Amino acid sequence: MTLQLIILLPLLGGIVAWISERRGSSDVRWIALITLAADFALLLSVWAGHPAAAGASRVLLDENLPWIPQLGIGFHLSMDGLSLLMALLTVFLGAIAVLVSWTEIRERIGAFHFHLLACLTGILGVFLSADLFLFFVFYEVMLIPMYFLIVFWGEDAKGRVAAKFVMYTQAGGLLMLVSILGLYFAEGSGHTFDYNRLLATRAGASSALLMLGFFLAFGVKLPIIPLHGWQAETYSAAPTAGGIILSGLMAKAGAYGLIRFAIPLFPDAAHRFAPCAMGFGVIAILYGGLLAFSQTDLKRFIAYSSISHLGFVVLGAFAMNATAYQGVVMQMICHGLSVAGLFILAAVLRDNAGTNDIERLGGLWHSAPRLGVTGSLLAMATLGLPGLGNFIGEFLILLGVYKVSVTYAAIGAFGAVASTIYALWLVQRIFLGPRREGASIRDISGRSLVAAAALIAALLWLGLYPQPVLQRAEPSPRAVMGTPASDNSFELHPRILARALELPRE
Amino acid sequence: MLMLPEIIVVLTAGVVLCLDLFLTERSRVILAPVTLLGLALGFAALLVTPQTGDLLGGRFGMDPIAWWFKVIFLIAGFVTVILSMDLLDGRAAHRMRGIGFRGEYYTILLSTIVGMMFLISARETITLYVSLETATIPLFVLTAWRRDHVQSGEAGLKYVIIGALASAFILYGLSILYGLTGQTSIVGMSAKLADVPRPAFWLAAAMLMTGVGFKLTIVPFHMWAADVYEGAPAPVTAYLSVASKAAGLAFMFQVFYRIFGSELAGWTPLIAAFAAVTMSLGNLVAIVQDNIKRFMAFSAISQAGYLILGFLGPADNGVPAMLFYMLVYILSNLAVFACIVWYSNETGRERIEEYRGLSLTNPIMALGMMIALFSLAGIPPLSGFVGKFFLFSIAAKAGYNWLVAVAAVNSTISLFYYLRIVRQMYIEPIYEGAGTLPVRYTVAATVGLLSLAVALMGVIPYFYETIHAQTITWLASLIG
Repeated sequence: MTLQLIILLPLLGGIVAWISERRGSSDVRWIALITLAADFALLLSVWAGHPAAAGASRVLLDENLPWIPQLGIGFHLSMDGLSLLMALLTVFLGAIAVLVSWTEIRERIGAFHFHLLACLTGILGVFLSADLFLFFVFYEVMLIPMYFLIVFWGEDAKGRVAAKFVMYTQAGGLLMLVSILGLYFAEGSGHTFDYNRLLATRAGASSALLMLGFFLAFGVKLPIIPLHGWQAETYSAAPTAGGIILSGLMAKAGAYGLIRFAIPLFPDAAHRFAPCAMGFGVIAILYGGLLAFSQTDLKRFIAYSSISHLGFVVLGAFAMNATAYQGVVMQMICHGLSVAGLFILAAVLRDNAGTNDIERLGGLWHSAPRLGVTGSLLAMATLGLPGLGNFIGEFLILLGVYKVSVTYAAIGAFGAVASTIYALWLVQRIFLGPRREGASIRDISGRSLVAAAALIAALLWLGLYPQPVLQRAEPSPRAVMGTPASDNSFELHPRILARALELPRE
Repeated sequence: MLMLPEIIVVLTAGVVLCLDLFLTERSRVILAPVTLLGLALGFAALLVTPQTGDLLGGRFGMDPIAWWFKVIFLIAGFVTVILSMDLLDGRAAHRMRGIGFRGEYYTILLSTIVGMMFLISARETITLYVSLETATIPLFVLTAWRRDHVQSGEAGLKYVIIGALASAFILYGLSILYGLTGQTSIVGMSAKLADVPRPAFWLAAAMLMTGVGFKLTIVPFHMWAADVYEGAPAPVTAYLSVASKAAGLAFMFQVFYRIFGSELAGWTPLIAAFAAVTMSLGNLVAIVQDNIKRFMAFSAISQAGYLILGFLGPADNGVPAMLFYMLVYILSNLAVFACIVWYSNETGRERIEEYRGLSLTNPIMALGMMIALFSLAGIPPLSGFVGKFFLFSIAAKAGYNWLVAVAAVNSTISLFYYLRIVRQMYIEPIYEGAGTLPVRYTVAATVGLLSLAVALMGVIPYFYETIHAQTITWLASLIG
């Protein structure tokens, strides 16, 4: 029941919040926050109850209810270290999103929190599903609440933008659905959607196409470069909370899909496709960085820098070795935290300085030193300064990629240089430089400050003492291969990785 | 006992017609509740009648499939009466001239329902044809109900001509089969088909398929749909879009599974091609529609394209998938139409752009309509997704992966145009001075219950499991 509860709790909280608003209660935000806190406590209890050291059982919790047995569909939820980490991130960022909406959202508060929490339910479901049908359902469930978050509480041309976002994601999702069906009917699958049993299925000749379906679906969510048409507009139209969920969590759902489904389900095809996919990753890193550099709108800047950082995820995922894999997990978490921080920065600037246009900002440090420090720290995290979590992620990824391809590692490393340039440039233009007219603004304070401080604290903790997270992310590959813990220098054949990511059979 | 539901519905039709003679115009409002009561009794009777058995020397048969179809017909009829009530007894009737004659209206509606119920139970080609006509001819009348409305009359005329053409095809097909086999009973006909000379058999099969194509609005036999849907009174359009389609499917079941059996196994590429063309054309044309009834016509055409995917696979997968999707489709479509009928009655507005701001004036109705539209678009976890998923999986299993890809692309396109309406309701600014529109509690309850059912059927597997289990018993009885 624990896993079902973890998933359903936000939804229930959302319903309660909505109803209580209708009844005239003013505690909607507190209800949402308490729900998420309870969910977080639940996850922490799972963390505490299953020490990472006991590497023998890689799966922490496994709950399988029959759903539509005629078609081999089960309500199968499963949690291993990776899922646990992602679920923690989801609930944490969810709470941050509630905090930053505290003053931003003034209309239809109940409905807003319902949609926000429903979206979180979908995302948690994605991270915990061990049945492909169920996974697809949750993958789509998170879409509609997000559509409404943008439509109701967004800015600018939100209707068109939201529709574009939905169409892109839906197109990708349906490609994945076709692939799921293809896998389901592949020879020897035993007609089941169960993840563990499908891991043993080899789709044969069509596996390359099927994998491509998954890759494109997740590529839209990440996004990778030719599929990013929806992203910048959506990020800038979405309310702050929506932006945090979109970039911090939904993009991670794409990354999670790559390392949980696309690669392990089709190891051979993924192996053949790897050079190409890593090429996409490198293109995203460099081109995203280039685009980020030329933005004047802060939210658009966040969008393109996200593309660049998630390019590392694609690069690392297809390097297919344990080092890169850990780096990917680390990068997913840290990028989620830092991008949420940047969205808070954007929200504060919009509220206090009246604009997100970088060209019109400048010299804010004097009047808003706390904001300056926050912004600089987040920029440092973005550029991958050692001591902050993102560094660990990018470093491990590059280390892993280096073992596979020196070329890609070298090009990828340029991405780190690029991000240094644009992050510093950002700090310089907003906080330093000549003071523009009206440069005296109110400083960051209250809940936004708490939220930003929590994010920075988490980033610092991950940067200085990443071991607990790495351990959680790690046992899966290592336990299977039986290599000594100190030796990270092995090549990991995709088949082994597939076995490593396997969940238990009953 | 087996025929009890049909008998009750026929009796209700008689009672309504007779009551109409003795009532004053003002007191005719009780006709609709009487009709509803009759349909409810028929439904209750359906629940207690045995699910298998024969009557009239095997001319009338009952099996689980027929049972489910009758459930579908009765639900469709019931909701249609509720919607018609809103039109005929409400304020709209005073505004629109030529909308009267409630007694006849409900009688005719009941007779088409009864025709459909006999259609799926017929075990003899003459009964089959007669019940098909009983189901269809009243629809022509209903379509042309607004007598002094040009579009309604035109729609009726178009429907008569096209409907007669379709019936003629079916009749020719059945006659050829009779000539070839010398049998009118479906079982006897089916048994002798193997020895029949091929070209003649193919001609008969092609004619039957063409006739059914008209009823199911399969492209290229779809062209009547948009005009008829637009011209007919809105409740009739609702009924046409669900019941007439269900009847088409029922007839297709009769022909495809009972008469032809495995004789048409080689025809699946053709069905696949029809499915692909139907869903694509329906979808593409729906994008540019402006009138919501025309829009729903093309949406219904594309849904028919998804529906016939079920014929690609073996019956034990295909039949439950199609039945389930049919059930989901009628519930979703009726929920949408309930909103359309109500909105058009209250405001006279039928253009998609005119739905703007509905979520602010009537949030519950807008929510119900949105859920139903998303179900039609196939968004999980709503039942429309589950239904589509079953159908897609049948096509994938039969090896038509290209078709699944086409269907997936079409689903994306359909999401786009269903979102158009949602956007109007939720984003666009409200009409100036628009207040909350009054909703009859019957209509509100209908929309609420239907959308709730649409949402729950996607999550609770009971319906699909039941349909699946019953199909297996049906197939076993068909073989053994």
